[in-house]
Parts: sequence; C-alpha cells; structure tokens
Amino acid sequence: MKFWPVILTRHRILLLLLVLVFAWSLFSVNWSGSIIHTGGRSSFLKLWLSLFPPDLSLGFLLIASKATWTTFTFAVMGIVLAITLGLPMGVIASGILFERSSVNRVPIIIVFRGLLAGMRAVHELVWAVVLVVAIGLSPVAGIIALGIPYAGILGRIYAELLQSTPRAPIDALSQTGASQLKILFYGYIPAVLPDMLSYTFYRFECSIRAAAILSFIGIQGLGYQIQLSLHDLLFDQVWTLLLFLILLIVLVDLWSTRIRRSLLA
Amino acid sequence: MSKFALIVIATNNTLRHMSFTKGSLFLFGIFIIVSWGFIFLPGDSGFVELFRLETWTNIKIFILRLTGTESDLTPAFFQVDRWIETSKLAYQTLVMSILAMAIAGIGAFLTMVWAARNVSNGDLGGVPSRFGNVMYYLVRANYIVSRAVPELVWAMIIVFFLSPGILPGALALGLHNLGIVGRLTAEVIENLDPASSVSLRSAGASNSQILMYGIMPQAMPHFITYLLYRWEVVIRTTVVVGFVSAGGLGREFILRLNWFHYTDVTLILIWYLLMVIGVDVLSSWLRKIVDAD
Repeated sequence: MKFWPVILTRHRILLLLLVLVFAWSLFSVNWSGSIIHTGGRSSFLKLWLSLFPPDLSLGFLLIASKATWTTFTFAVMGIVLAITLGLPMGVIASGILFERSSVNRVPIIIVFRGLLAGMRAVHELVWAVVLVVAIGLSPVAGIIALGIPYAGILGRIYAELLQSTPRAPIDALSQTGASQLKILFYGYIPAVLPDMLSYTFYRFECSIRAAAILSFIGIQGLGYQIQLSLHDLLFDQVWTLLLFLILLIVLVDLWSTRIRRSLLA
Repeated sequence: MSKFALIVIATNNTLRHMSFTKGSLFLFGIFIIVSWGFIFLPGDSGFVELFRLETWTNIKIFILRLTGTESDLTPAFFQVDRWIETSKLAYQTLVMSILAMAIAGIGAFLTMVWAARNVSNGDLGGVPSRFGNVMYYLVRANYIVSRAVPELVWAMIIVFFLSPGILPGALALGLHNLGIVGRLTAEVIENLDPASSVSLRSAGASNSQILMYGIMPQAMPHFITYLLYRWEVVIRTTVVVGFVSAGGLGREFILRLNWFHYTDVTLILIWYLLMVIGVDVLSSWLRKIVDAD
C-alpha cells in the first residue's frame, strides 16, 4: 500500500516549500528569551476574567453604542468616497471608453492601472498617518484615508468586470450607432451591476474594520474607545466594545451575504 | 386610524414590492445621508479646510520635505548606510508576515474541516456525531470573533502580555487571518462534490482516509490560494501592526515621522512599496503554479 505520494509534482514541491518556509519562520523567533514580559501572565489572566461579565452598565453601553455608530458612519462615508473615486477610474482603466476612438488607449490604461495599484498598495492607516501630517487631524482626513485604498481596490475590480463582459450586446449597441458613453450606460453597466454591487457590499464589511482602527490617529469610534479602556486597564470595557464591534461586523456580513445571494441567484 | 399608522402601512406596502436588493440600496442611501449629516453638520469635519490655500501650501511643503529638496542635508534615500540599516527592518517585517501566515495557515489547517457543515452532518459520508456538531459551532464562533476584530486591535491587546518584537505582531496578524482563511476554506469544503467521498465510504474507507483522499485533494489548492492571496494583504498590514508591536518597519515609520526625519520616512515608504510589489509578484506566480496543476 502506498501512503505517501512518491511523485513530486509541482504542486507537492510548492506545498513542501511552504511548510519549510513556515517552519523556518517559527524558528526565527527567539523562543528561549522572555516572550511573556513581566506581569504579562497576570494581565492575561485578568483579561480573561473580565469577560465574566463585561461592563454592561447603562452609561457604558451608551458610550459603546455611540462609538459603534461613529465607526459605522465613517465606514459609510469612506466607501462612498471609494465608489466616487473608483468607479470613474475603473471605467477609464478598463479602456472601454476608447475602443473606437483614435486615441492610443494603451498609455491611458497603464497610467490609470498604475494609479489604482499605488492607491491600494498603501494601507489605509499609513495613508491616515501621512494625511494627518499633511492636512491635519480631522474627520475628513480619516474619510480620505479610507477612501483612497478602497477606491484602488474597487477600481481594479470594476475594471476587470467591465473587461470581462460578454461582447454580443455591446456589439449590437455599437452597430445601432450608440455613442461610447451610451454603450457604457446601456451596455456595460447593466451587465456588470450585480457583480459590482455584491463586491462593493463585501468591501463595505471590510471598511467597517478599517474605520474602527482609524482611532489610531485619533478619530473617534470603537477603536478609540478600545484604546482608552486598554490604557486604563479596564478590560471589562474592552470586552463590551469588542462585542459591539463583532456584532456590527456580523450584522453587516449577514446583510451583504443576503444581498449577494439575491443578486447572483 | 392616525396619519402616522397610514404612512407606516404605505411604506410597508412599498417595501414589500421592492426586491431585497432595491430595499438594501434604499436603506444604504438613507445611511449615506444620515452619516453625511452626522460627520459634516457639526462643522468641525475639516471639509472647509480642504479648500483653503493654507492647507494646500502645507501639503506642498510636506511633499517637498519628503523628497528632501527643502533641506541641505543628503536625503536618507541617497545614503547607502541608511539603506543597509533599514534593510534589517524590512527583513524583520517580511519574517513577521511569513510567521503570521504560518500561524494562520497551521491554525486554519487544523480547524477548517470541523467548520464545514457537510463534514459534521455526514453529507460527505462521515458519521454525524454530537462531538462534530459541537466542534462545528465552536470553530465557527472562533472564526467569527478572530475575523471581526481588526489586526491592530489584536496587536494592542497582545502587547499587554507579550514582549514587543516580531511575535506579538505576527500573532495579531495570524489570528485575524486564521478566521478569514478558515472560513473561506470551510466554505470550499461545503461546496465540494460529495461523490468522491461517498464512494470512498462505500468502498470501506475510514474517516481519516476520506479526509486524506476525498476532501484534502480538492480543498488544498483553494486553501493554498487563499493563503497566498492573504499574504499580499498581510504584507501591507504588517507595517501597521508594527506601529504598536514594535517590530519591523512600522515602528521606525512612526518614530521618524514624530522626529520630523522626513527623508527617512520616504525611505521606509520606498521599502514598503518594494515589499508590497515583491510579494504581489511572488504570490501571483505561486498561485499560477497551484492553478496549473
């Protein structure tokens, strides 16, 4: 009986490589040193004990609800900015607007794809830190920091979706003499709208997490409250805030899954 | 009947005739308007400042400082020894991202089978058991929690008991991605074609043999693809987690910014982009190998 595959396919070599790299990364940590710092053990214990129960006093529940709402509003505005930036950039980057024009479309496509790639290459919090230095700490800085990388992600997906639309309806439209813009609005957009919507709603869930950590630069919201409670060693409050965050994420996740199901059915 | 009740009934009827998606879009529109009002009506949003000349002069000065044209000193990104110094931090960041993927990968690999509904309820030919059922809800709940909490929040909590360095950051990143990769792969297993597992079972295969020959060969390529795809995301986030866990480029980035060493900030951003691009290229190349088989 043969238990182990003897033949080394490319697949198995890759798997072996991954396992080796993972093992190497585990050994790169200095395990013998002080991994847990002084007092770490007691604060770990304290952290777990404060889950029973978390801080459920009315006053703190109000604070947590307000923080949850603030995080939610930032996520909404961030994704709105991401769509308003990402949609036109994605349309241009897909190159469908210049199909029949005499303009050489290759450089335009490359420039816009590069722009989108650059926007999403930098994490939202790095954008946030840079923006705070450049334009000062304000809610707008937070929203722009959220909007830029998400516009990069959405724009790229929009461009890819637009490029993979079936040709027949587009050709039919263009034979009737419709302008490039009309083809975009009556040919391309209706064809990709369900996919675009479902991906955008999926990204909305991610933007909530992103909005929560914008607190790092001082924007109000769940992350900000978590940071405050952690600094005061009030772990029961941390748990309450984490539960609110998890609840918000789960609700939005359920909502976006439901939308995706009804869109793609 | 009051006017209010009439309005409620009318809205209810309109909503019933709308599809779920249209209703959702309508609701989202309301959220947009309310959020706009919530953030911008208080007047301290900083929106007006965007249109002031002063703000744009500041941005110009900031960019000039980043490029090093404002001061007489040699910019850090033209000094070889600064490159060598920061290369160690970049290496640390890379190790941190790989360690994070190792934690997420091993964790998800050990738990993902439990998280598939068709494994625990016997649709794949296994025997449904109370233990499997309990494990299903336990693992799924764990995935939800570890996925819902952002990496940075995990890191903030973990530095309370682990010494600063690579490990707390990698653990934070690993925990978050464990939930994501685990959930995605469990969903792949749930959508598997049960035929091969069921016929293995009818040929007398044991549970572990079904796992080894019925489930894993189909699920593994997806698992590795998700892992590689997440690695692209993780390398971007490693810097951010470094802000609090003191490992790699992240800490240096914040310190240099606080010390107003702007050209050093540029140097770190260059490293950051190099690593992001490098990992993107490597990951998509490796993913192609997985797909090709």
